[in-house]
Amino acid sequence: MATILDMRGQACPIPVVKANQTLAGMSQGVLEVHVDNPVAVENLRRMALQKKLPVKVDQPESEHYIVTIPVNAPVEETPLPEVKDCSCAAPGHLVVAVDTEIMGRGSDELGRTLLKGFIFAISRLPQPPRTVLFYNGGARLTVEGSPFLEDLRNMEQQGVEILTCGTCLNYYGLTEQLAVGKVTDMYTIVERLSGAGQVIKP
Amino acid sequence: MIAPQLWLLVTFPTVTAAMAMEQRCHGAGLPGRLIPVPRSITAGCGMAWRCDPALRQRLEEVLQGMTYEGIYELEF
Repeated sequence: MATILDMRGQACPIPVVKANQTLAGMSQGVLEVHVDNPVAVENLRRMALQKKLPVKVDQPESEHYIVTIPVNAPVEETPLPEVKDCSCAAPGHLVVAVDTEIMGRGSDELGRTLLKGFIFAISRLPQPPRTVLFYNGGARLTVEGSPFLEDLRNMEQQGVEILTCGTCLNYYGLTEQLAVGKVTDMYTIVERLSGAGQVIKP
Repeated sequence: MIAPQLWLLVTFPTVTAAMAMEQRCHGAGLPGRLIPVPRSITAGCGMAWRCDPALRQRLEEVLQGMTYEGIYELEF
């Protein structure tokens, strides 16, 4: 008999927290958690991994995932440290994706000036973004000598996660020049974008 | 939040003039930057030059012969 938790529509980290509680009372059987987004699936997968439990994921519909966790022995309730880093965030969390040095199309010279204004204004938001992602041309903004460092460091001090695509830094030969934030990979970029409440781009 | 401090601001009638100011200040080694004009100033083209008020004298030298609109001291 499967225990079913329908967590569709529940904001992260509720599905993983409930699943953890439910597993703690189980010694035999199957837990089936229904969720509506891939970040929740990822969190459940990590939780199961921590408990050394196998996981099966089915996706009957585009926004319906079924995470099946079989249990053959009593499960200990373990803390969920990874949920603190939960990239999916509460609804409304803002992620800024900067993929260019130039804001908008028309004049590149004007676009460079506009981007300076954009990043400054982002750094002054009363509610700062959760994450600012830099990739492709955007990777030039986070390196030594960039005119954007002051604003980006201000944001980092406010707790904003500043992430630059490592592949992009490598391509431009800027890997050694990163001056603010951390290097990241495509999995993290996609996790941050898919878990955002809203994404804005210059 | 970033703690407010006093800044010197120069506004310009055109973005081109603001960008020329940026070039000229960089050339003269005068620290400062272009920012979007703060909402409390309803003037100019949208971008303003911002620098430390202590640099006012050097700034005015750089501004000679340049097209600008106004100089403000503003805390933000």
